[in-house]
Amino acid sequence: MNTQEKNNSQPVNEFNQPIKGVSLNLDAWRRLKKNKMAIGGLFVVLFYILIASLAFIPGFPIHSYDKIILDHQHLPPSLTKTAGDLLYEKTEKKLSAIAKKRGRESLNEEEIQELKDLRHQIENETMEEDGKTIKVHQRRYLFGTDYHGRDMLARIVFGSQVSIGIGIVGTLTAMLIGITIGSIAGYSGGRTDYFLVRFIDIMYSLPYMILVIIFMAMFKSDNQIQRIINLYIAIAMVSWLTMARIVRGQFISLKNSEFVEAARSIGASKTHIIIRHILPNTLGIIIVFSTLSFPQFILAEAFLSFLGLGISAPFASWGSLISDAVEGMDLFPWRLFFPAAAMTIFLFAMNFLGDGLRDAFDPQSKNRL
Amino acid sequence: MTKFIIKRLLSIFPTLLIVITICFFLVRMAPGGPFDLEKTLPKVIQDNMKKKYHMDEPLWKQYGRYVTDLVFKLDFGPSYRYQDHDVSYYIGKSLPNSAMLGIIALSLAVFLGVGVGIISALKQNTLADYIPMSIAVIGISVPNFVVGPVLMYYLALKWQWLPTSGWIMEGGPKTIIMPAITLSLVFFAYIARLSRSSLLEVLRSDYIRTARAKGLSGRVVIFKHALKGAMLPVVSYLGPAFSFIITGSVVVESIFRVPGLAKFFVQSALNRDYTLLLGALIIYSSILMVANFVVDVAYSFIDPRISYK
Repeated sequence: MNTQEKNNSQPVNEFNQPIKGVSLNLDAWRRLKKNKMAIGGLFVVLFYILIASLAFIPGFPIHSYDKIILDHQHLPPSLTKTAGDLLYEKTEKKLSAIAKKRGRESLNEEEIQELKDLRHQIENETMEEDGKTIKVHQRRYLFGTDYHGRDMLARIVFGSQVSIGIGIVGTLTAMLIGITIGSIAGYSGGRTDYFLVRFIDIMYSLPYMILVIIFMAMFKSDNQIQRIINLYIAIAMVSWLTMARIVRGQFISLKNSEFVEAARSIGASKTHIIIRHILPNTLGIIIVFSTLSFPQFILAEAFLSFLGLGISAPFASWGSLISDAVEGMDLFPWRLFFPAAAMTIFLFAMNFLGDGLRDAFDPQSKNRL
Repeated sequence: MTKFIIKRLLSIFPTLLIVITICFFLVRMAPGGPFDLEKTLPKVIQDNMKKKYHMDEPLWKQYGRYVTDLVFKLDFGPSYRYQDHDVSYYIGKSLPNSAMLGIIALSLAVFLGVGVGIISALKQNTLADYIPMSIAVIGISVPNFVVGPVLMYYLALKWQWLPTSGWIMEGGPKTIIMPAITLSLVFFAYIARLSRSSLLEVLRSDYIRTARAKGLSGRVVIFKHALKGAMLPVVSYLGPAFSFIITGSVVVESIFRVPGLAKFFVQSALNRDYTLLLGALIIYSSILMVANFVVDVAYSFIDPRISYK
């Protein structure tokens, strides 16, 4: 009986079909779906997040990101050849180069013996990993290895966990602090608003990235975990300013609207009005801005790590991998290109997604880039 | 108008003082000091050195001394780590290099960006629009510490067209090409997209239709009417662009080994060379604030709708 009553009260069109309301967010989602680049970006971002989260599971088929195998130093990327083959080729090339230098056409007995020994070693040497014995030279390195023989693919995946993690934490912190400060300033107005806005203005006029550099350099610690925490603090310190400004602007324009007036007139409390009435209406802009600022946090982290102030080996982030690769990039270019490509593709996707979201939520956006 | 300019100019000083204060105490909060060398000095010598630099005094006294020296004598004090010269010498030697790189990069970005933006807006949805705009998307997504090494790999190491690093004094003007491109790419991209979209917007507005209806030539409509309105967002972007150029120069100078001011930030912070660090920071903050001031004033000249009273 009860459900029938509910059905009756639903609006229907002339064919007696229930009308489904189109909310602002649903409308935006429809527009977003039409934007192919943005949807492509969304899939790329989801793929990265999927790989990064799957890599936390112990059985994920990937080499260790910090296991040092000195024999496998600087192996080039290869799809088909195993590490042993590459190592053998490398040594053979080296030995014949030495022979040529000394004026010999072919290798001498001693060198041939050395190669034979190497072949034997490649076929038989084993290593203990996770309690299992594996043939270490049978490994394949799709993205090559770095200066300590660590798998670049594993390091990039681990690096994306760190980089994306920092992006997420930075965005969440910016949202939390920014929304709180912005809504307080916007809703209360008056003196509170004045001081908060002044404070934000002053923070804006500081060269804050430089301050972050100094902060990171001053409190540089040898403890990796401490470093990551410092990085979070440094990024969170400056991240919320723009968010606070945007939320404040929205609150000022919404707080005198009719629906807020109505809520106030039936005696809703301040917190109730802010959380249940005004915030949901600013959600679109908050989502758009968060998506657009997400890559900024990743960039900030990479920037600091590139300067040697953020994350460093054996840990990895995209920035630190690129930073490590700059030295010796003429000989081992794969160490630069793979992390750079991984990072660039992600930033690309994120930017397209952000642009698409902005267009979807605000089709007549004036400051569209 | 004059009143606004003066008021705006005067507001720089308290902000600068706040910056100096924050930095002064932030820098001192960190553990360690400038005289913690790898080899520990005897206590007497350490005490004497501290005395020489007035570091035995309470912090607020040191702060007072630093600010008065700075305000009345424009003296940044001695460097704690490099004994040969004082901070003003190092700043005077390296600032021109940084400034040159920054100005070249910024003008490159502004002129190319606005030019490309105009062309793509006028030839909307043709190849002349798509190609520059795709380059602009790349410019925005690829960070400068990726662009720098990749450029270096191809232009300097593989094809050997340009020197890998160095600066004008030893390497000639060729050395500035790669740092300038790397530094300006992001701003070029932003400015190109910004001027394209705002010009498109302006071209649809009523006063442009009026100008066309009056029978003015296309050239006059675009350059005399449309461009002035379309440049507003670009001008207001220049303020943030300045601060990003300064931040970006830290990376670019370290990749291409430019003897500029930016290297002091990381180095002196690690060395705990308080005065050198503060000096560099104050210089950059002042540049930033003056730039913002100029942008604000320029904005009020271009946009007659804004009146500062």
